[in-house]
Formats: sequence, C-alpha cells, structure tokens
Amino acid sequence: MEPKEVLDELKTILVARLKFDPRRAAETTELTPLAKGVEGSIGLDSLDFIELSIAIEERFGITMDESEDLSEHFASFATLSRFIAGKLPAA
Amino acid sequence: MAAARVVITGVGIVNGAVVGDSAALGAFLAAPRPAPGMAPGAVGRLAAGAFAGLVDAQDARRLSRVCQLSIAAAKLAMRESGVDAARGLGLVLGTEFGDLSSTHVFADGFLERGAAGLSPLLFPNTVMNTMAATTAIATGARELALTLNAPTVAGELAVARAAAAVAAGEVPAVLAGGVEEIDPVVERELPALGFGRETLGEGAAFLVLETPASAAARGATILGEVSGASWRALPTRPWGVGRQRVSRAIEAALGAAGLEAGDVGAVYGSASGDRARDTWEAHVLASALGPDAPPVASLARLLGRHAGLGVLRVAAAAWTARSGLLPAADEPATRLTRVPARPGLVHGLARGGAHVALVVSAA
Amino acid sequence: MKRVVVTGLGAATPFGLGVKAYWSGLANGVCAIRPLTVIETDTFRSRIGGEVPETPGGSSRRTRADRLAIAAVDEALSDAALGTRDRADTALVVGAVGGGMLEAESWYWAAARGQRGRAVPALRSVLPCAHAEALSARFRLGGPRHSVVTACSSGAVAVAEAASLIRAGVVDTAVAGGVDAITRICFMGFNALKLLDPTPCRPFDRNRRGMSMGEGAGFVVLEDATRARERGARVHAELAGHGMTTDAYHVTAPEPEGDGMARAMRAALAQGGTPASAVQYANAHGTGTPQNDRVEARALARVFGEGALLVSSTKSMIGHTMAAAGSLEAIATILALGHGVVPPTANLDTPDPDVAFDCVARVPRETPIDCAISNSFGFGGQNVTLLFRRG
Repeated sequence: MEPKEVLDELKTILVARLKFDPRRAAETTELTPLAKGVEGSIGLDSLDFIELSIAIEERFGITMDESEDLSEHFASFATLSRFIAGKLPAA
Repeated sequence: MAAARVVITGVGIVNGAVVGDSAALGAFLAAPRPAPGMAPGAVGRLAAGAFAGLVDAQDARRLSRVCQLSIAAAKLAMRESGVDAARGLGLVLGTEFGDLSSTHVFADGFLERGAAGLSPLLFPNTVMNTMAATTAIATGARELALTLNAPTVAGELAVARAAAAVAAGEVPAVLAGGVEEIDPVVERELPALGFGRETLGEGAAFLVLETPASAAARGATILGEVSGASWRALPTRPWGVGRQRVSRAIEAALGAAGLEAGDVGAVYGSASGDRARDTWEAHVLASALGPDAPPVASLARLLGRHAGLGVLRVAAAAWTARSGLLPAADEPATRLTRVPARPGLVHGLARGGAHVALVVSAA
Repeated sequence: MKRVVVTGLGAATPFGLGVKAYWSGLANGVCAIRPLTVIETDTFRSRIGGEVPETPGGSSRRTRADRLAIAAVDEALSDAALGTRDRADTALVVGAVGGGMLEAESWYWAAARGQRGRAVPALRSVLPCAHAEALSARFRLGGPRHSVVTACSSGAVAVAEAASLIRAGVVDTAVAGGVDAITRICFMGFNALKLLDPTPCRPFDRNRRGMSMGEGAGFVVLEDATRARERGARVHAELAGHGMTTDAYHVTAPEPEGDGMARAMRAALAQGGTPASAVQYANAHGTGTPQNDRVEARALARVFGEGALLVSSTKSMIGHTMAAAGSLEAIATILALGHGVVPPTANLDTPDPDVAFDCVARVPRETPIDCAISNSFGFGGQNVTLLFRRG
C-alpha cells in the first residue's frame, strides 16, 4: 500500500469512526500531532486511541500487541503510517 | 432543623417549540402553540440543528445526540442563573429512555461486522448515566450527580430529588433536569410497546435550584420557589392503573409549603393521551383539591410527553404563579385561562403508581 | 442526626443464592470467575466472568435480572422480619444499569438474523426502572420508590439514597440495593475498551491487566435505629455515613489524582462524625484495571495515610457485578464487621509496590474490626463511599 493510500484511509477513519467533521479531517496532514495536550493537535484522548487502534486493526488486517507501549507510533499520521507499513505483509 | 428554602435561578429549555431560558418559556406560555409533529401515537421529533451553537463543536464530536441535548439545556440554565459551579454544584437528571439510540447502533456494529465493528467510543453511551456524566463535565458539577430512571415522571422526580438535596443542606446548588430522545427502533415499535395513544416528544429542560443565601450572594434574580416536594407510590400492579385516589405526595408537598388545598391557584398535571392513566390522575387531583379545584394544564399535547416536559412544568408553574395565566391545552388552538396569582401544584403520576407532587411559588 | 442501621441482608451471587453461600465463598477466598455460559463469547479476548450458577426460581417470563433481584429482596425482607404493615410504608431504591437488556438483546439478535415472530419484549421490562416496579408489587412495598443509574456505583448510590430518605424522616424503613445480569452489550463493550483481563482479574497486583465481568443482586433493609430497637430487630451494622461526588473529568477514565474519590471518602467520614484513624478496613472498588487500582490506592493514602488500614477487593472473587457491585460489596463489608474476618483479594500473587497497603493477599484475615468503608467508583466519575460501624 502506498503511503498516500494509508494516509487517506486514516483520514476516512477520522470521519467514520472518530466522528470528525470531513473538512477538519481533510485539513489534517501527516505531521499534525494527534494527542490531546500537544500544541496544534487534533485532540485525541485515550478513548479515541482505543477506537483508532481497533479501526486500524480492522481496516489494515493487522494486530497490535497490547503489552507493548505503542504511544510513540501514535504521535502523528506519519509515525502511524510507518508503523502500519511495517506490520503489513510484504507486497 | 428547619429545611432551607429552595429557589429557582435559571431555566434552560430545548424542545420543538422553545429553545432558550425563562424568557423564551414565558413567551411560549403567553402564546402557546404545538411543536412540529405532535399527534397521538406519534413522536414529535426535534429538528436537526435545534441546538446548534449551544454545544461546542469540538466537544460535540464525541457526544451523542441526547447528550448534546442535555448539555445545551443545562448550559442555558447555568447562563441565566450565573451560578458558580466551583462553589458546589450537584446534578440530578431524570430520563425514561436514556441513550437507547447509541445502544442499538453499538449492537448493530457487532451484528453487521462482528467484534471489529464494535465502537469503544459508543460504549459509554449505552449506560444511562451518560447524559449526566457528560453534562457534569460540561458544567463542572462535582457534588452528587444522580440519574433517575422512571416511567412518565422522571422529570418531576428529578426536580423533587434536587429540591430535597438543597433543602437538606447536602449542596448549595443543583442542576435539575429532564432529558428525552426517542430512538427510531422504539418509535417503530410504539404500538407494540403500549405507547399507542400518547403524544410523545423529545427535549430537555433544566432548572438551577439553590438556597436563597447562595442566590443572594451574587444578586441572582429569583424566578420562583419550590416550596414543597414529595414523591410516593400508589398501590397497583406493575404498569397498571389503580383505584386509590388519596395521594400522600400532594399532602406532603402542601404540608412542606405550609399551604392547604384551597391555596393552590393552578395545576400542571401529566395527562398525555393515555386515557386510563389520565383519568386516574384526574381522580387523584380531584380528591386532593376538592370540588373547587383549580384548572389543570398539561402541555403534553403541545410539547409531547417527555422527561424534559416534567421539569418545564415546574418553571411554567412559577410563571403562572406570577402572571395569573394558565395555558388550557384542551385543543390545539390554545387559549389562556385567568387563574389567581398563587402557588401552583405540579403533579405527575405513572402507570405502576409512582407519583410526584411539587408546590411552586412565584419569587 | 438520625442513625440508620442495617437489619436485613439478601444476595444472589456467583457463589450461589443466599448470603450464606456468599460469605462462605468470601471467607474462603474462593475465585468464582469462570467461562461464561449465559451468552456466546466466541471471538472475544476475555470470555470469563462471575455468573450466578443457579437460575433463581420464578416465572420464566420475568427477566433474569428481575429474578435475581426478587431472590435477594425476598431474603433481605425475611432476614429483617419485616411484616406486611411495615412494608406498606417501606421505601424502595434500586440501582440498575442493564435492566432487562439481556432479554431485549435476544429479541434484537433474532430480528437481525431474520428470525421474525418473536414478540418485542415490553420496553417496560427492559429499562432499569423495571426492577423497582416488579419488586414493589411482588413484596407490597408501598413507600416512595425510585431507581438510580450511576454505572458501576449504582448499588451503593441506592443504599445511600435510602439512608437519606430515613435521615430526612420521610420513611422509617427502606429496601435498597442493586442488580445486574450479564448482558452482551456490557460484555462486548468492556472487551472493545480492552478493559477485561482474559484470566481472572487480579486487583492491586503488579501484573494486573483488567477487570472481570460479573452479575448478581444485593439488597439490604435499612431502618431508623430507634425504630429498629423498639421492634427488637436484629442489627447487622450501622450505616454511619455516606459521601457522593463526581469527577466531572472523563466519561471512562478516573481523574488521575483521585480527588473525587478522596472527597467522597472524606464526606462519608464527616457525615459519620468519624476520624479517618478509626477506619480499619476499606472494601475497595478494586476492579483490577491498571488505572482504577492505582488512582484508588493514591486516594486511600491521601485520606487515611499509607498502610493505615487493610484493603481488599471483592471483585477479585465475584468479578465486577456492575449495578450490584456497590450493594454486594457493602454486604461483604457488613459481614466482615460481623464475623471479624476480612475477605482477601484473590489472585494477588505479586502486590504492586505502588499500592501502599496490605491488600490481604489470597488468604482471609481474622481480625476484629469496628469500622469500615466500602468504595464504588463508576464510569463517568460517579464516586460513592459508604461508612459502616459494627452493630
């Protein structure tokens, strides 16, 4: 999957699962911080991150190991894309 | 120990005919008209966008419709009241159906796509305290926060319980509200569920109740007073209509207000088109108030039965006690009846016998 | 201030029907968390819970939750020897969350799978207020009745509400408690939130991973102390005070400093005119989630001082019984006072070093106690503490 495709899928998840306004989701870039409390972020909290990880597991067919601390991967869509790409089976 | 008095300093209403505070309610009562969609056996739905602008857009993302409705009305009441939550604010919210919409959408996620279709975001909304929890966050209410579930009288019950909390000195101020949304699945099954003849509505109404001292400390305008409140049960089978006509709740509420039946200027009852229940309530009121009983209004034909209406009636009773006018909602083209500008009785009676009586005075 | 005492206890728990079975399990530190059978659990990560093993008798048309509640209230009323005349003026407060949702789900699931023909369950049997309607009729409880829904603290709130009615002089006696049956929605939801441990929960353990599901019913009879003495009622314990607060922080996560929890505990102590130093045991909310236990331990330390009292979690043995938890755990606390035995925290192999208390790991502690609290902290930051003194 191309990085651009992954990014578009993530934006779709923002709207469909996290209830973001489509315009707001479209404005999100790869580098926009995700976590609440970080300046300029889209304000996701712990509940949002659980929803996001389930949506990612379903959409990309990957599993996340809950015992790992995955917070650094969820810093932005760029880090998330890299994390997802790393888990996808090799093309 | 003498109970503290309980005054009303804020009103917030969101329904099909009224969106605003006590002034908006007063304007509606002075020229009453039905909200859209009102008809027996139907649900008068709130228009989309009815509470747009009343809930912050960022917060609204995660809030279900019924939670937004609750927050919108609560914030209107807070704004009119000017009460400072940091000085101690409780919350009592009454509802009959809660957030059933979120519940069935959550279940649909699983039925359509298995475990992966479950939305963690939706799950908290499947518990009926979600409106109170989100409203407490939005308003900063950190003292007791109760959600009361009851058939028909949830709104009146919330006000009675909130008044008891203020009168007992549990908390200086309480947001008392009724909130109702009708889930489309419920609407579809209304006849099968036994709601066939009633006019149901959607909406939320909140009052700020506080001690006179708390209100005086910031020079708040007193909109009315809950001078007596009581809830009891009349004997009957579950969900049945009984024959007992003597209401200890009315007796207790009048007693707490230091009034007799003859002092009541007007009555707001809970008639809603459920003929047997409406008749039972009429008998109970007649038994308590005697042959010279004052006229009874319900507003259910105009606004639909819903927990918000139960709370709205308390604010309406304060308006009537001041203005001497009572909307007589016998037909859709409603008129106003002149009544003495005296304390009013707000009464609700549910199938199964749970009932609430409140005595409401002008400021 | 009027004094309120507990004169009747009734329970239906994962240990079986009746208070005797309940105490037997608690006092022996038995873990009743097993694979669930009431609902399908395929494909879910956590498939266990505390299930009531015997279905209580009664009409099959009644919901499971109603039958659990009826069994518990029946026992409590008999225990209190509350006669017909007294019952006519007795209040009823019920804490509920799921109501008859289990049966509503069966209908909804069948409809979704195209199986028509099943009657819509009466909505009136589904909503949380259904229990109060059924119980008041079945037992002819003629006083004021109301139902409270405050998520995981509902059962405790119900007990507190009943005490308030008695202290206000509205009634002399009240039946109060909570009930919940396992439901698919609750089970699936907690799984989706990743809050469930696939193995039986281990509250206060360093390696704890989450909650366990549970179901049950716990009801008490509360009475004005003077009245109870006059009629020669047996007193289990005194309900000396309660505190109710709200975090107003987040819909699922507790406020990290435990401020709301601490305020609830302090309010209970204040109402009971009791210094913190007098409390010897805290029956914790103790769900076994990393968050709750950490924040609760912190709040306990702030109010009582580190190591100042024994702490244990009943949920380690029966799971999180949702609306019943607050009242079932109140009953556990009352029984501990009466027997002079503190039930243990089961499955506690490696105590969390950040929890500054003796959590009575695995083995019950025989020690006379005179004063104890029971904590319940619900979703949405709904905090309740009940303070009990030996009868």
